[in-house]
Amino acid sequence: MDPVADTAAEKAISGRATRHFVEFLCLCIAVCLAAAPKNSVAQDATGEYQVKAAFVFHFVQLVDWPSDAPNGSEQPVSLCLFDDEPNRKEFESIIDGKSFGDRVLRVRMVHQQQDIRGCSILFLSRDEIRRQNEALRDLQGQPVLTIGETDNFLKDGGMIRFHLEDGRVRFDINLPASDAAKLRISSRLLLLASQVLRDPAAEHGGG
Amino acid sequence: MIKLKGKYIQAPTLRMFRRYYYLLPYSLRIRFRNRHRDFAISSRVLRACHRLQIILVLASFIAASCQGEQPDLTQKSLEDLMNIEVTSVAKKEQKTSQAAAAVFVISSDEIRRSGALNIPDLLRMVPGIEVAQLNGSVWAISARGFNGQESNKLLVLIDGRTVYNPIFAGVFWDSQIVPLASIERIEIIRGPGAAVWGANAVNGVINIITKSAKDTQGTYAVVGGGSLGAQPETMRFGAKAGNLGAYRVYVEGFHTVAQRSIDGGNGEDDWSLAHGGFRTDLKISSKDSVMAEGDLYRGDAGELVVAPVSIEPPITSTLALRDQYSGWNLLSRWTRTISANSETSLQIYFDRTSRGDTTYSLGLNTFDVDFQHHLGWGTHQDLVWGLGSRISSNGTDPEFRISFQPENRNLALFSSFVQDEIATFQDHLHTTVGVRLEHNSYTGFDTEPSISMVWAPNNKTMFWSAISGANRTPARSDRDIRVNVEALPGPNGLPLLVSYFGNPNQKNEHVTAFEAGYRKTISKDLSLDATAFYNRYRDLQSVEPGAIQLETNPAPPHLLLPWTFANGLYGEAHGFEAFANWKPTRAWTLNPGYSFLTTHIHRFVGSEDVTEGPDTEGGAPKQQAELRSRLDISRGWQWNTLAYFVDRLPALSVPAYTRLDTNLTWQLGERLSMTLAGQNLLQDRHLEYAGPDSSVQSGEIRRNGYAKIEWSF
Repeated sequence: MDPVADTAAEKAISGRATRHFVEFLCLCIAVCLAAAPKNSVAQDATGEYQVKAAFVFHFVQLVDWPSDAPNGSEQPVSLCLFDDEPNRKEFESIIDGKSFGDRVLRVRMVHQQQDIRGCSILFLSRDEIRRQNEALRDLQGQPVLTIGETDNFLKDGGMIRFHLEDGRVRFDINLPASDAAKLRISSRLLLLASQVLRDPAAEHGGG
Repeated sequence: MIKLKGKYIQAPTLRMFRRYYYLLPYSLRIRFRNRHRDFAISSRVLRACHRLQIILVLASFIAASCQGEQPDLTQKSLEDLMNIEVTSVAKKEQKTSQAAAAVFVISSDEIRRSGALNIPDLLRMVPGIEVAQLNGSVWAISARGFNGQESNKLLVLIDGRTVYNPIFAGVFWDSQIVPLASIERIEIIRGPGAAVWGANAVNGVINIITKSAKDTQGTYAVVGGGSLGAQPETMRFGAKAGNLGAYRVYVEGFHTVAQRSIDGGNGEDDWSLAHGGFRTDLKISSKDSVMAEGDLYRGDAGELVVAPVSIEPPITSTLALRDQYSGWNLLSRWTRTISANSETSLQIYFDRTSRGDTTYSLGLNTFDVDFQHHLGWGTHQDLVWGLGSRISSNGTDPEFRISFQPENRNLALFSSFVQDEIATFQDHLHTTVGVRLEHNSYTGFDTEPSISMVWAPNNKTMFWSAISGANRTPARSDRDIRVNVEALPGPNGLPLLVSYFGNPNQKNEHVTAFEAGYRKTISKDLSLDATAFYNRYRDLQSVEPGAIQLETNPAPPHLLLPWTFANGLYGEAHGFEAFANWKPTRAWTLNPGYSFLTTHIHRFVGSEDVTEGPDTEGGAPKQQAELRSRLDISRGWQWNTLAYFVDRLPALSVPAYTRLDTNLTWQLGERLSMTLAGQNLLQDRHLEYAGPDSSVQSGEIRRNGYAKIEWSF
């Protein structure tokens, strides 16, 4: 049937025109959508914890765990967060399931203090300050890379501490703490750190 | 029939034109057909064409949504990461689960799922808040008792701008209209909040916080209608403001039809409102961000008012009046992040509002400056301090029913506050001490202190307690007003006029509140929150009868029975509120809530109050209970229901009632959603409030059904 030649169709234009008009509108919207500038404001100002998550992804590749650590070379490397961590979404979206070499990084939620020994990395944000002391004491000498951000984090026995400098993420390293845990931090990471605590005696003044 | 192969690929414009051929006027179509006879295509090809078009549309949708995605940060080198400027919030946003106050937060998702058409309807889900609708556009809303049309012990702020009216001491809810889809969250604090929020935060604070402009990008539209008239129709557009940030603009309007008056007649309370506004959020440097927003509105609402219309002959009758109001406001806040532990903010706003009908008229200009500094001291202390000043000039026109003496007045308020949170016992115990010093034009200096403690033995359990003081400062309606309430035939053939008079010596009303609360996360699917309180009030407002006297002005000469405000009452209230969040299954959330309240009011020696005390005691529901259910039926389908019970108001002869609101939403992808909602389904109509002190006559609230389509792109 040729709709153009068909006069019956000519007469039934009202219904057809409506349908076609709706299609036309859809097409217009689609074109507008494709052409309109995208709402990328969120991209300009990258979230603090998204960047920190990306840092953690690099740390994993620049730290060697001892061979007897709970995460043997087969298992995924697990980054643990306490289950009330307010920034868990950022970590999950940026690094969960990311692979490097033949290994995979997994973000894991821990509910209790005793679960943290099975982790490869433990991240404690400012909001977890209440658990910090207990967690760090518990992990002393354990092959778990501890990353935090409070002023006292290294003093309390943490290994890597994030801080902000002029709106940019920087980090300090507590070498005696990582040595005690038999973690080997690559020299590249040590070079990029703003401050590296080396001598146990110097630890007192750092932070 | 045609040789179209190739051609239809190469001539897309022509093809499109062919598709919309039927939109052309008939004469043009004939000409087109004659010239392009060979371009006619078979229906099979037409269908293919159609399918291709659908694919095109889908593809552009997908392309559009993909563009918004984040780049993969893990692909950047460490050096690059170190150069990225990050957004940081120095002011640690306190999680409500850690607050030493009875806090309830309505999230934007809960707002979307509530089916509420306005902010008062949203507040009905909050345990311990009483929401009673008087007529189409007037609500009585309060926390922990003392409800009334001018509910004067609840402070309400929209993005930090106070909307508590200093002329009538209360909130005109009909002009506090914010497009619901632009609200980020509503924080409701039951109990005093004066140390941080200032005077009049006696029984509660409601903070309405709108979304940042960067979260409302693109175009959003909602249209709909229902049995009580159109639901708010909103058009909003948001875009980037260069590299600095984002902005949005919106317009909204609605019209609702009249409800019923208390005797079943026409309530004459139809309501229409139009408003528009903007908000922009800019990051002007790595440390500084600026937010600016403004609103412009005009509304017109009908109401029934019982008022005297003439002294001789004495006539008091029910008038159908039109309350007309308009206003605009501009607010700007500059936030500077000095370091990770220190942040300052400077906020300035101007608010102009005017309203009136034929029996009253007022205009109010408010200018407010507020500075705050938040800083962390070492690891264990968190300090906030601030300074503020508010200048308001208001003017009234003398009408026979309501007049003010003096007609115009300027008011100034100066305030400063400091609050320190100290963490001890390895962060298990948080103690917060705060005090506010205020000076206002009526009552001079006053302090409002608070101390609270949070004990969190583990991250699943929390106990808190607080002792705080707060004041309700006099408004012009307490000091300067005269309301002629009733004209009656009096003794000796003289007419008698009954009038309320403000008291030029009216003092602050004061509360000391003792609160304790418990929060428990039992599992990840079940959490509980319970609060108990005991409030002691003193210098509460009373209404004292005066001696009958002869008055010649207003003419003609008549007898006057004056009732004068005083601070003749004291009292106490106690009660508790409890609610839970339970997810029986992944797709189903249940929120039961219950609140209990008793209030006792006593007279100081010398007071002869017979109305305020009993009305306060018996004007709030003893019990309220609610059950909210949110169910995700299947992909895109959501069914939400709110049922709640409000106990009777014995002093006001309002019977207990149970309301049921429900809605069904179908979300079609990210961009389109359709909602079918019913409100107040159990009864054809019912009474929620009938205050003798209300200036409007309460009507009955009708059942409502509506449908709406929301579209964002």
